[in-house]
Amino acid sequence: MTDDKDVLRDVWFGRIPTCFTLYQDEITEREAEPYYLLLPRVSYLTLVTDKVKKHFQKVMRQEDISEIWFEYEGTPLKWHYPIGLLFDLLASSSALPWNITVHFKSFPEKDLLHCPSKDAIEAHFMSCVKEADALKHKSQVINEMQKKDHKQLWMGLQNDRFDQFWAINRKLMEYPAEENGFRYIPFRIYQTTTERPFIQKLFRPVAADGQLHTLGDLLKEVCPSAVAPEDGEKKNQVMIHGIEPMLETPLQWLSEHLSYPDNFLHISIIPQPTD
Amino acid sequence: MEEDEFFGEKAFQRFCVEFIKHSRQIGDGWEWRTSKDCSEGYMCKTHFQIKPGTVVSHPGTSAHVQTCLPMEEALELPLDDFEVTETTTGSEVIKYEYHVLYSCSYQVPVLYFRASFLDGRPLTLKDIWEGIHECYKTRLLQEPWDTITQQEHPILGQPFFVLHPCKTNEFMTPVLKNSRKFNRSVNYITSWLSIVGPVVGLNLPLSYARTASQDE
Repeated sequence: MTDDKDVLRDVWFGRIPTCFTLYQDEITEREAEPYYLLLPRVSYLTLVTDKVKKHFQKVMRQEDISEIWFEYEGTPLKWHYPIGLLFDLLASSSALPWNITVHFKSFPEKDLLHCPSKDAIEAHFMSCVKEADALKHKSQVINEMQKKDHKQLWMGLQNDRFDQFWAINRKLMEYPAEENGFRYIPFRIYQTTTERPFIQKLFRPVAADGQLHTLGDLLKEVCPSAVAPEDGEKKNQVMIHGIEPMLETPLQWLSEHLSYPDNFLHISIIPQPTD
Repeated sequence: MEEDEFFGEKAFQRFCVEFIKHSRQIGDGWEWRTSKDCSEGYMCKTHFQIKPGTVVSHPGTSAHVQTCLPMEEALELPLDDFEVTETTTGSEVIKYEYHVLYSCSYQVPVLYFRASFLDGRPLTLKDIWEGIHECYKTRLLQEPWDTITQQEHPILGQPFFVLHPCKTNEFMTPVLKNSRKFNRSVNYITSWLSIVGPVVGLNLPLSYARTASQDE
């Protein structure tokens, strides 16, 4: 049986083979070759694509370049969503590599947040970590940490340093001895079929009678359409980090082991592939 | 859902209903909106404002300094004031949208807003920042978590600017303590919006406050 700590490493080091192609209408001085990269599932597009940007800018003139943005099959990709979430939600049923189109013009103002600098990614990441702790610990743990601890979380993510990250993050995964888990579980459920970008609600990991709530309990409560009826055919996949955890898995365990570095469980509900 | 939850989602909706009731009475333009696929809703208001352009006055007349007026007030000025021949160049009408949503993570309301020119061009964070009153800028620059950032609207999924909610409890607690102490009922939304709104150009007519203290 795999040790629970191995799960943390497997999640952290997950990668998605990706092929970046320049949008055909971009103006280039020479032919732009596609660029291949293994993307970390737990990171963010604008944090890990400096090489992609440099590669395409080499064949373009400065005046034809403005803010970079990415698109998959016509859908602008939200850089502020973790890469693994974007892939699971939009492309997991397609063959690898993940084919992403790169743009340098016509930034879709109505769809995407601007990403002016690495500081913006850090601010967004820390904002999510803070919100997760508000749910788990009424912000007590995150507020007790020093600025350098916050910085260490970010540097660990930016530099792909598992040990550096978890030295601090383990504190965010603790809970008082007298409790059986966090106050509320930080989670977001995504579906492409709804107008709303995600579902997020207050949900306790432990029931009044002390029983641990499961993933299935969560779905039944906040997203009942995602779960198939007892005798019905399974319509959807419930995916986290590219896998379908058993619905009987305790939510507290999922939160401690399958959260993204921002401490949220980002769960995708996708149609069952028909092959 | 929670026993010790002072400001839960139900309380939020209740205060919004009261707030909108008064808004309708005075024609202040706030509405309640829900999304197709969820029970949660939010308050929203749109208003138009003239961004000042450059005043060019003609010889022999006095120049009027044009300030940033809400359109309604600008139209109410007596015609005499416009006798002088001056022209303004570059004035533009800006459409502001304000949304009040509930954050279940922080259990407080959150103010989302966006602004665009009439042709649809959005205002950038820099433009928004320039429109903020000097006295608020200093405070916003000091507190990293009190800044205005661009974020995804949790119901519409579109980019909006947000005033970070994590310090809301800090400034609302004294307000609520005093209301209990002096036995005066307070509409949380009215009090909160009167504090955060002006930072981003949203002002509340005083009649909201009079209504809140009358409901006892």
